[in-house]
Amino acid sequence: MTDLCDRPAHELVSLLHSGETSAQAILESTLARIDAVEGRPPTTAPYLEQPDDRTRVHAYIAVTRDLARQQAQAVDDRLAAGQDPGPLAGIPVAVKDIFCVQGTPSTAGSRILETFVSPYTATPVARLEAAGAVVVGKANLDEFAFGSSSESSAFLPPPGNPWDPRRVPGGSSGGSAAAVAAGEAVVSLGTDTAGSVRQPAAFCGVVGLKPTYGRVSRYGLIAFASSLDCPALVTRDVEDAALVLGVVAGQDAKDATAAAAPVPDYRARLDAGVAGLRIGLSPDYIRLRFPDPVSGELREQSIAPEVEAAVHEAAQALAAAGAEIVEGVPMPNTRFGVPAYFVISRVEAASNLHRYDGVKYGYRFPGEVTDLKDLYRKSRGRGFGPQPKLRILMGMYVSAEQYEKAYYPRALRVRTRIRRDFEQAFDPAGPYRLDALLTPTTPATAFEIGAVYGDSVLMQYADLLTVPGNHAGVPGLSLPAGLDRQGLPIGIQLLGADFHEAMLMRVGRAYESLTASAGWRRARPAVLQSVGSS
Amino acid sequence: MPDSITPEIFRHLVDLAALELDEDEAEYLRRQLNGQLKAIAELESIELDSETAVTSHGVPYPDAIRPPLRSDVVRPAHEADDILAQAPATEDRYIVVPDIPHTELE
Amino acid sequence: MYEAVIGLETHIQLNTRSKIFCACKADSWGDAPNTNICPVCTGLPGVLPALNRAVVAKAARLAAAMHVERLAGESFFARKNYFYPDLPKGYQISQYNEPLARGGYLDVPLPDGERRVHIWKLHIEEDAGKTVHRGDRRLIDFNRCGVPLVEMVTGPDLRSADEAAQYVIRLRQLLRWLDVSEADMEKGQLRCDANVSIRPQGSTELNTKTEIKNVNSIDSLRQAIQTEIARQSRETESGGTIEAWTLEWDEDEGVLRKMRSKETEADYRYFREPDLLPIQLSEAERAEVVEALPELPLERRRRFVEEYELPDYDAEILTEERSLSEYFEAAVGALAGQPKIVSNWLMNDVLRLLRERGLTAGSLRLTPVYLAEIIRMVQSKDITTNTGKDLLDKIETTGRSPAEIVDAEALRQVTDVDALGALARQVLAENPDQVAQYRSGKTALIGWFVGQVMKRSGGQADPQKARQLLEEQLRPS
Repeated sequence: MTDLCDRPAHELVSLLHSGETSAQAILESTLARIDAVEGRPPTTAPYLEQPDDRTRVHAYIAVTRDLARQQAQAVDDRLAAGQDPGPLAGIPVAVKDIFCVQGTPSTAGSRILETFVSPYTATPVARLEAAGAVVVGKANLDEFAFGSSSESSAFLPPPGNPWDPRRVPGGSSGGSAAAVAAGEAVVSLGTDTAGSVRQPAAFCGVVGLKPTYGRVSRYGLIAFASSLDCPALVTRDVEDAALVLGVVAGQDAKDATAAAAPVPDYRARLDAGVAGLRIGLSPDYIRLRFPDPVSGELREQSIAPEVEAAVHEAAQALAAAGAEIVEGVPMPNTRFGVPAYFVISRVEAASNLHRYDGVKYGYRFPGEVTDLKDLYRKSRGRGFGPQPKLRILMGMYVSAEQYEKAYYPRALRVRTRIRRDFEQAFDPAGPYRLDALLTPTTPATAFEIGAVYGDSVLMQYADLLTVPGNHAGVPGLSLPAGLDRQGLPIGIQLLGADFHEAMLMRVGRAYESLTASAGWRRARPAVLQSVGSS
Repeated sequence: MPDSITPEIFRHLVDLAALELDEDEAEYLRRQLNGQLKAIAELESIELDSETAVTSHGVPYPDAIRPPLRSDVVRPAHEADDILAQAPATEDRYIVVPDIPHTELE
Repeated sequence: MYEAVIGLETHIQLNTRSKIFCACKADSWGDAPNTNICPVCTGLPGVLPALNRAVVAKAARLAAAMHVERLAGESFFARKNYFYPDLPKGYQISQYNEPLARGGYLDVPLPDGERRVHIWKLHIEEDAGKTVHRGDRRLIDFNRCGVPLVEMVTGPDLRSADEAAQYVIRLRQLLRWLDVSEADMEKGQLRCDANVSIRPQGSTELNTKTEIKNVNSIDSLRQAIQTEIARQSRETESGGTIEAWTLEWDEDEGVLRKMRSKETEADYRYFREPDLLPIQLSEAERAEVVEALPELPLERRRRFVEEYELPDYDAEILTEERSLSEYFEAAVGALAGQPKIVSNWLMNDVLRLLRERGLTAGSLRLTPVYLAEIIRMVQSKDITTNTGKDLLDKIETTGRSPAEIVDAEALRQVTDVDALGALARQVLAENPDQVAQYRSGKTALIGWFVGQVMKRSGGQADPQKARQLLEEQLRPS
């Protein structure tokens, strides 16, 4: 018998409705797990690593116990009164601390927002709350979501990977993925700008769903790269992703880019199977140009063999269940995803970070300043860590008139080419007519804390296989697909046509069923091995 | 390959960005930026015909899913005090900052 | 001799109810600082803009009225990035190189005929907040952040300070006419920067120009441009060169000052605003905007001269403001003609009433139908002209109809010969001395007798009839 906090949301909702458990019991189970595995709370004080730090998860910047208990109580009260407590009643949720939640610190993992208490709540969070979810706390992340390891947070210790806390959980939604993997939350709301939910989900052995751009409102998501940012979900299984997406998706008058597309019942055809579906494989997701992990030089190479093998095994399993595997789908612009991203995301990020100037909220340099510009420089110089600074400076460089070299327009046109790869692959009248493209989520499994951090180029290439989906805006689903020799989770990715999340989840659900009896499905993260089942 | 972002260009970028950096940090950041430019240079190997339009968002917004524009309706500003409460310095409901730098020409 | 070459960049505050990207009240005139603010217009982390449809509608209407060649089917917002404490996001959302409209014009009547002033570009943008000096600090008020503006840039088509002033006067008239802006310069609802250069008369070259900012009245604009033309002429005469300065008009001192350079390299790093979709106007929508456009002031003025045979002067006054011109036509309609009579009433009396009460014709309780009724009663001698004029105020104050007031206050003119004859007899009987004087040749006294009759009638006697009866009775029998 697993702990309540380790079960998927759809099971918990059933247990709650049948009266077998209560929202408060689910929450207490989760809080107990947090006490057991979380470790010391992160702070912005100068970081001195302690021996214990690399045995703990450190998923949260803040655990909002009191608020969570009030929310759980409210759910139980509604249940007791015979009212509908909502489709996510009593489900403990970790919210990546890039979303504003009224009355709680909303820091983006940055010193510059350490003191900011949001006067409003982000739309997706408000929808979760309205559906009865219980917000457990704000999950740690890379500063302003700038990174792929969660190490750049101003709040340290950084999150560790529950499967091996000496390794990163990925990022930037590392705290979110780690929390769900370690039972510190049942689901998590993260964001995915280049792979920031899919990559950590892959590293932590959980499900990560990046919906279509515009499927979920960005209102209240502290912006990184506005044309790429996407609220995204970390869940324990595909059915939970379907359940939660149904709650958060849909139009929002506060977000002009939130599409007015109807929200289907994502669970309706989850179990329809894959017979007759066309699932593509592309060599361009296996062999491509990225930096040599040792020399750092860009070269043509293949992704980690165990990851590649996991993709092929998944394809075989789906084929055995009746799917048609379409090999050799050309996605020739995949390799340009990271270079184009280096330009587009930086231009947008530099602009989005202009507002942090010490004037209106957050950190203001407290000492003497000579004038306003000095206040800007000192507040921003001390408030931002190295990752925001890098993004701001590169954004300035590639958009400033005197240096520009037309980087930005070129990158936007390359983006068009990347988009065309997907349009061609999914075109129902085209040569491939895919229902989904099956790829690895990451070129390799989780790396060690400190191994990549500091090399901003190598770090960016962790998003090599996920970022094309952000450029194109298409949905992507990362699924756990086994463990490598070191016992680290491997993730595979399904990419689909615009607003075809239901199709991706249907394939994902089929894959889960097909691998339900696999040995790796019974493996538990290392941090849980010392935790007794209650 | 010589650095594209020289210390001089870097100083200009830092000024545009309104950042105060210490020397070590500056040198680290400058090296990283030059490294990133090598990756960005990959873009130059793509031949783009002039027909290729720019993509602003990946997904297109055909009429069917384009959200309507907001109606011109006023909503009371309930959050005004909470917003002001976030400001590091206020006076008589104004937010206070030091004076604007003078770069008088004469 | 030099001639001036002037182009104007105007910022027009649209009179929408809410701001451009959020639901805060747009008009904060007189409100305490930082009261009409929300997370969106103060640039809190995570917020997004939601475009107000009325902004697009009003800007498109204005563009159509400027006869733009091209109202864009698709236009884009961009971000203009710079640091300034009144700009909470650190960028201004503004249209840039893909604006709502390009290539229009406004015809401006000038003493020597109409001048066509070209409009290069018309775009939508958000306003910034305000900063106030207090000692060595700046105080910031975000109320104005996100107020919708239209920026309109003219070609270098104006040749003098007076012409520039005329352009702004005509623009202001048009803005109010179209109900797109209140266009009150003192409230900053219409702001104007002038680009000024000079060249030898007859030359077609464009020389280095200076930009004059911070002019907030038409008089200031005229003075500032005159001052700058004079300066440039002196400078050129003495062999100096004109540099591309930015100048600020100091209204109190009546002098131009060179502004400190805001940023030596103004690099705004414009890029398309990813938080907003392009503004789309279909062919049908664009046609509808043009279709729905009202008759414009100059067209109406011309028509008033032709159709109603009004003097130019009357037509000009009556079309200064749209509701007045509509009032005029409604009154003429109600009276079934006599446009010049209606015009006289409007220009002499109704305009005075509007000025005194600070109203526009469209908001009068004294409706065009009532005015026509008054004119009709005066013409049929039911009431005297004076009574008619008094009625204007009474109706406006009470909202009652002319007939009601006339009846209630018994204001009908006394034209009845018997009643008037009796009054005349009475006056003569009571004033034998004056009667004697009159009869001895001092006939000028007739006016005095008429006055006495009028007085006794409470002003309601028909003075002509009274005079006639008096003269009859005074004739030696």
